[in-house]
Amino acid sequence: MADETRKNDEVNRRQFFMRLGLGSLGIAAAGTAAFAYQYLEPNVLFEPSPVINAGKPDHYPLGSVTIDVNSGIYIIHSEEGFFSLSAVCTHLGCMTAWKPESNQIACPCHGSKFEQNGKKIEGPAPKPLPWKRIWLNDDGDLLVDRSTDVPALARDSFVRV
Amino acid sequence: MAESKDFIATIDSNAKRSPRRIAFITRRTSAQVKAETEDQIQTFPEVLFRAAVAVMALAVVLVWIALLFNAPLEGLADPSHTPNPAKAPWYFLGLQEMLHYFPPVVAGVLVPGLVVMALIVIPYFKVNIEADGLFLKDHQKRVRIFYLVVAVLSAFLAWFHVVVALVPTLIMAALMFVASQSSPQSASAFRRYLAARPLSYWVMTWFLFELVILTAVGTLFRGPGWSPVCPWSGFCPWQGL
Amino acid sequence: MAKTVDQYFGDLRGTRVWRSIFRSGTGSSTLKRALAIQQNVFLHLFSTKVRTRMLSFSATWYLGTLTLGTFLILVATGIPLMFYYHPSVPQAYADTKDLEFVVSSGLFLRNLHRWSAHAMVFLVFAHMFKVFYRGAYRPPREFNWVIGVVLLLITLLLSYTGYLLPWDQLAYWAITVGSNIASAVPIMGDKIHFLLLGGNAVNANALLRFYVLHCMILPLSAMFFVAIHFWRIRKDGGLYSHPSEPATVRARANSVPANPMEAQ
Repeated sequence: MADETRKNDEVNRRQFFMRLGLGSLGIAAAGTAAFAYQYLEPNVLFEPSPVINAGKPDHYPLGSVTIDVNSGIYIIHSEEGFFSLSAVCTHLGCMTAWKPESNQIACPCHGSKFEQNGKKIEGPAPKPLPWKRIWLNDDGDLLVDRSTDVPALARDSFVRV
Repeated sequence: MAESKDFIATIDSNAKRSPRRIAFITRRTSAQVKAETEDQIQTFPEVLFRAAVAVMALAVVLVWIALLFNAPLEGLADPSHTPNPAKAPWYFLGLQEMLHYFPPVVAGVLVPGLVVMALIVIPYFKVNIEADGLFLKDHQKRVRIFYLVVAVLSAFLAWFHVVVALVPTLIMAALMFVASQSSPQSASAFRRYLAARPLSYWVMTWFLFELVILTAVGTLFRGPGWSPVCPWSGFCPWQGL
Repeated sequence: MAKTVDQYFGDLRGTRVWRSIFRSGTGSSTLKRALAIQQNVFLHLFSTKVRTRMLSFSATWYLGTLTLGTFLILVATGIPLMFYYHPSVPQAYADTKDLEFVVSSGLFLRNLHRWSAHAMVFLVFAHMFKVFYRGAYRPPREFNWVIGVVLLLITLLLSYTGYLLPWDQLAYWAITVGSNIASAVPIMGDKIHFLLLGGNAVNANALLRFYVLHCMILPLSAMFFVAIHFWRIRKDGGLYSHPSEPATVRARANSVPANPMEAQ
């Protein structure tokens, strides 16, 4: 009935059902994988908010570098205004410290050193300390969002009071 | 080479019939299958595919039910407030129903313990292995023992007002009575069937019947304070009893 | 176009890497099918061939297989549920609520877990009764029946320990009632009660113990005994495949007195 050339393209019944079966299993598996991934990603986190209230700007005199170790940020009052750096070393996550005698931020773990504007001076840290978004709320408090990075030394990265 | 053996065995050697096993079992050994010559098929795909289909069908049913019905969740556990009634999971409600009539030592420890023990020893009793119809041998003696056991058990249950257990017992006793009056030559197929039932069947069926009834009563027919209720609205013959 | 895909698969199957993983290869020959069972670590508990009579649905209603199926569903849903559950008081209840309302697919997983648990208890009882009524406990299968009873008890304990975990009123009081029954055991009752709960009342210790029992000890015991249960079936020559009791088998045999050796 069918000629030789057509026969090679035909799918016989066994192949058809094999493909139907395996195809359905494949779709089911793909669906299960998608739902499993969605399941494992938490929709709600029980972690503290990334936004920190740093209090009134008056607490931070001009030229001061103040660390908040609980939230891991620096509030720095320079001549351009107030800005915030992350205090977490970009190497392996240790808490850095401000060294006023050498005018440097230093990490105790592997000896990385940073300038006051976050730029790396020496050490194994691969990146400078990131600048975090800082702004004033309606009550006049300084607020810092640790989950948002802003460009270093840019005009809008400072808060002017 | 030939010591005379003390048995002779002959078999029919028609190759067209399905082959049969002959086991010579010496005393105090348990029979083990060493070799067999029946029709065989391949595990893969026959067995595995059938098992896969069965499990998939089960999974489909369970997924449907899981999509349609939510698992229950009540308020936060509050040690100072006992809900009324405080019911165990459904498979323990038969036990909890019995706790209504008997003290915890009996209903909670003795009865379940005996039941588990009884289950475990079933295969070790010759009477269960041979599984002959209960009333087909020693008819008079067995019928007398049957009447005695039913009388004692029913009196015990009636004395403690355990109606829910008494009714299934009496129903089973009625069936066993019919069995005792039947034989493999009885007219109806049902009576022939009953006559051939062995003791293990009667005991187990009684147990199954009691289990189902007690669990059903505990689940559906018990309300606050373990009082008798009905799961339907409307007339309830035993409400307030 | 489809043929090219098949060709690609064929080439893939010929590669060294593939053949180092799947050493027996596919095929519909008796040898290949036997190897698929025998060379597989999970499947070689089966024998490569079984008696045709064992396939009969009416003999077993496949209840043993279905019970194992529910057990697998319970493990497959239970382990993901563990990702969002803290076995502490009262966090457990909050987590159960979270699973229902916040976690994607959480409600479905919990529902499936719960209904499969009820199904497993029901199927395990049904399996036991079916095995009894067809006489599949007779020698040489006696001890396998005992292992079955042990598995029944493990199943009931799994269900019981799991019942406490949501820490709601239903859970708390059901377990309180149940553990008070345990203290009715003469002589040792109070000690058993104390050890079971890790204290005198159903509190945080009890929850943690039940959690460990439910997620680790009892499932491992179940798998251990299931392995023995299956192994014994194998060693006893496969499933006992008469659908009814020995009495019926013999009665049918007796109905043909001319050849008393002809069993049905």
